[in-house]
Amino acid sequence: MNPLAQALFQLAPYVLAFVVGALIPRRQGKPERFAIGIVAALSVLLVKSLWPSSAAVADENAHEWPYLLSVIVFLPILGAIFVLFLPRQSPVILKRVTFLILGLDGLVSLGLLSSPMTRGWHFQQITEWIPMFGIRYHVAVDGVSMWLILLSTLTTPIAAYVAFGSLKTRIKDLCFAFLLLHGAMMGAFVSLDLFLFFVFWELLLIPMIVMIGVWGGVEKVKAAYKFFIYTMVGSMLMLAAILYLVWNFTKLSGYPSFDYLALQHVVLPHTAAWLCFIGFFLAFAIKVPMFPFHTWLPDAHVQAPTGGSIILAAVLLKLGAYGYIRYCMGLLGGVAWAAAATLAGVAIGGGIVYGALVAWKQDDVKRLVAYSSVAHMGFVMLGLLAGTQAAMEGAVLQMLNHGVSTGALFLLVGVIYDRRHTRLVREFGGIAKVMPIYAALFVIVTMSSIGVPGTNGFVGEFMIVMGTFVSQTLGGQAKLQAGLASAGVILAAVYMLSVVQRVFFGPLSNPKNKHLKDINVRETIAVAPLIALVFVIGLFPNLFLSRISDGVSAVLERYTDSRKAYMDSGDAEVATLAPRQGGPLEHGYPEAPGKKTDTPAPAQAQALNGVAQ
Amino acid sequence: MNFNVLLAVSPILAVAIGGLLLMLAEAFGKPMAAVTEGGPVTTDAGAGRSDELALGSAVVLFAGALISVALWKVGPDKLDGVTSLAPYLIIDRFTLFFCFLLCLGGGLASLLAGGYLPEHKLDRGEFFPLLVFSTVGAMALAASGDFLSFFVALETMSLGVYCMIGLRRGNVRASEASLKYFLLGSFAAALTLFGGALLYGATGHTDFQGIGEGIATIGKASSTVSAPLVLVALALVLAGLAFKISAVPFHMWTPDAYEGAPTPTTTYMAVAVKSAAFAVLLRVLLIGFGDARLTSWGGTGWPPVLACLAVLSMTVANVIAGRQESVKRMLAYSSIAHAGYALVGVVAAMKSPQGAPSVLFYMLTYTVSTVGAFGALILCGRRGAEAVSYEDLAGLGKRHPAAALAFSFFLLSLAGVPPTAGFFGKLYVFSAAVDSGLNVLLVIGLLNSVIGAYYYLRVMVYMYMKEPEPGAPIATPMRSGFVVAAILLAAVLVLAFGVLPSTSLDIAAAAGLTHG
Repeated sequence: MNPLAQALFQLAPYVLAFVVGALIPRRQGKPERFAIGIVAALSVLLVKSLWPSSAAVADENAHEWPYLLSVIVFLPILGAIFVLFLPRQSPVILKRVTFLILGLDGLVSLGLLSSPMTRGWHFQQITEWIPMFGIRYHVAVDGVSMWLILLSTLTTPIAAYVAFGSLKTRIKDLCFAFLLLHGAMMGAFVSLDLFLFFVFWELLLIPMIVMIGVWGGVEKVKAAYKFFIYTMVGSMLMLAAILYLVWNFTKLSGYPSFDYLALQHVVLPHTAAWLCFIGFFLAFAIKVPMFPFHTWLPDAHVQAPTGGSIILAAVLLKLGAYGYIRYCMGLLGGVAWAAAATLAGVAIGGGIVYGALVAWKQDDVKRLVAYSSVAHMGFVMLGLLAGTQAAMEGAVLQMLNHGVSTGALFLLVGVIYDRRHTRLVREFGGIAKVMPIYAALFVIVTMSSIGVPGTNGFVGEFMIVMGTFVSQTLGGQAKLQAGLASAGVILAAVYMLSVVQRVFFGPLSNPKNKHLKDINVRETIAVAPLIALVFVIGLFPNLFLSRISDGVSAVLERYTDSRKAYMDSGDAEVATLAPRQGGPLEHGYPEAPGKKTDTPAPAQAQALNGVAQ
Repeated sequence: MNFNVLLAVSPILAVAIGGLLLMLAEAFGKPMAAVTEGGPVTTDAGAGRSDELALGSAVVLFAGALISVALWKVGPDKLDGVTSLAPYLIIDRFTLFFCFLLCLGGGLASLLAGGYLPEHKLDRGEFFPLLVFSTVGAMALAASGDFLSFFVALETMSLGVYCMIGLRRGNVRASEASLKYFLLGSFAAALTLFGGALLYGATGHTDFQGIGEGIATIGKASSTVSAPLVLVALALVLAGLAFKISAVPFHMWTPDAYEGAPTPTTTYMAVAVKSAAFAVLLRVLLIGFGDARLTSWGGTGWPPVLACLAVLSMTVANVIAGRQESVKRMLAYSSIAHAGYALVGVVAAMKSPQGAPSVLFYMLTYTVSTVGAFGALILCGRRGAEAVSYEDLAGLGKRHPAAALAFSFFLLSLAGVPPTAGFFGKLYVFSAAVDSGLNVLLVIGLLNSVIGAYYYLRVMVYMYMKEPEPGAPIATPMRSGFVVAAILLAAVLVLAFGVLPSTSLDIAAAAGLTHG
């Protein structure tokens, strides 16, 4: 490239900013346009000067486009900012733009399927962000996170579609919330830097609160506060644990890093490890939610609009389970192993059995579905705690299943709520006579939720129970716990079938229900992909499991290594650093900053040593 | 006369000269409108000239900030002869950082005043020279390395603020606020001075360096320094400075003074006065009382005392802030809580080299977020329909989305939600705390940010999720280019420090003091 072209290339961002700044504003004189253009160019300069010098790591998986994940994450986030500048008065444009962005994001995310998801990290991208703290922009996926991303890119457009149908007020805020929420969730699933993960984890709180608090039911403000306080307490304790881990790593290796790959080598002394585990576990247990931290969920679900409920159930809860896999098992495997049997007891007793019993007694259908979520997530957690290959694969699959079937249930409950503005079971009865198609769809989803063979729920629950039965982690209780978990499947049938019976069959007693319209085209379109997935997963689970298994086996290997290092450390008083193993799982490990250039940058040297007066 | 010396103090000098010019302009300029606030119609000098004066003082203060940046680029250690002003004025990177910060905070506050004063018919010119002179005092305070210049600078800074609080002359609450701050402030200043006098008696020095060297001899056979006297002096100095940074239990004046003062004054107090007090606190503790026995945990050291102050400030202020009905009062309590977070960094400075830089960076992020929050509060109200209580803000998100969005953005930064500046400030302070082994403080601080987040969220709940009661007074946003400019500038900085904090972190790290 000749020097002139290079200079032009470097100046291009400033010129572009200047032109945009000068041309966009309406009704401005030439001097003002010029001034605004200069300001725009200067802001580009500011941003460029603040950005640290970046160094990308050469990628072994060269055929994978490294920016794919960044596009998936930042397309919706930038879209959310773009939506802010659209006119509030034209909801149609707002809705179309939101759909376009979400749809585009979904299409882009299909690119993930191009990789067979072998062992190791895929679509990895690493850029320095804040070198002083050792914070990098490090994103990658493996077999576990990939499906969760695809699940979200499928369900968020559906949720948005449903929400646009039923909500008529403040569309702009809704579009903004949807896009920001989606981007933040994607970010949380792909981050491999704990700091980055925390940023996205916190970022998704805001749109979710807005969604509950603005379009919610009567008690919306209370539900929003409850959701906020619960999650905030969890995430603050998690931040404390992260900072402690990072401090230990800095002390042991001589340079700071927030990277997941680096921090997993820190072997903490037992007390500290337990405290850190509690910090992480509380954050994730609240999100999952596990008994006894589940009480925010029914309130949030009942008050949230249908679209919000779908996202909450389908994706947000998965974040808790995903966090457990990635961070509790990966970073603090020793403690996770030691705590597994007890926690599995809680997951069964407080989640599967108690959740099911409470669901049985609910009068509000949405509340019932919310408690059924508690029970289903109990299954997922049981699978993770069991820690065998089959159980873990089942748990990951069950996360998808729960997203599909509970998402569909919330959607269908929303359909009837839009018609009658009530969800109380006693208001209904015999609906199948006036809404036959709706009833059929509801029964299909119910079957999936119960786990009837042939539907998706069966595969996941079966694998979890099977894996639990042979689990070594759970010790002597494994057989008992597998038995109890199977009893939970029966309870699921009890509460789901009883509500189906009371709502859809029997005499059409309530005169208000005589003229209910059956499910319309819009609602059918929304639910159709979920129904299709019920059978696709149910009949061809191998399509999914083949890509999950390598990711799961890597997680389990990491889990065992982590436990071994923890056991070997014995009663050590201080933290130690486990040796690196190499291989694809450590591709992208943050090297010491001084390794490439022998003299560290002056600013960093000052940061490390402090400057004498 | 060495020219380098003038160059070294040029940030302070430039602002001082600018202030003098502003005062002349205000005194001899033609007043535009009569002030009609109670009583007969009077025409003050500089009345109705807020636009010009606000612009002038903002230009002066931003120029001061730019000069600090330029001096930073040159490097104060490169100018020989700089030390000839020491210990009265110490010009190092630490001072320059605070000069920039104080000028930034002062400049933003004067922009806010340019919109607020005319809107609320407080259009009197003396506000702006007072603000500029007070900033001169604050800058000198950050630079002072001796109890004499420390006291002079402290009073220069405070006197201006006393007057600025009482600007609303006819108002009872403003007078009460002003008098309260004046009486308690004088008392605190006297305590500090008394502490300085005792230290002079004990060590024979008034400069921090000399005091530190004197204290270091305690325990040696040849020493004449009395240890109890030093401890009493330390307690007095700490009490006086804790008053200025409004740490619990020295905070009693804060809510009243903050609420009674005109909002731009409140902004100025919350950002500039507090930052300057933190600057001198760090310098006194790390240079004057940096002896190993005084920085130890337990025994005779100051870290446990400051840790108690930090925990009290965070917890008490956050709990009380959650119960407030007035948003301005809530922000006042929140500023007390933020002093508590920053104190955690000061405590961490006893061991960790990250401690002092973390306080510096925290004050930077706190300044931009607080200016933004108060600015948004100003923007949300106009004369007769000022935004005071939560109910006033009900439904604002629907009526005036831009103002509500700005307010929410700054509140999120104050609450410490990533990716805003406030989050990084907290993160840096807390990681410094971990670095010093203060894990309990870390957990208390983090749990406090949950409480803090609750009451910031409450404002957003009112703005977005509630509708005003029929017939209840509601806030109507004002229109002012000055306020919008200040908010935009603050918003850009909050986002810049939040998303790309790398450069500013390096700068804060380079500016930090280490003890011993």
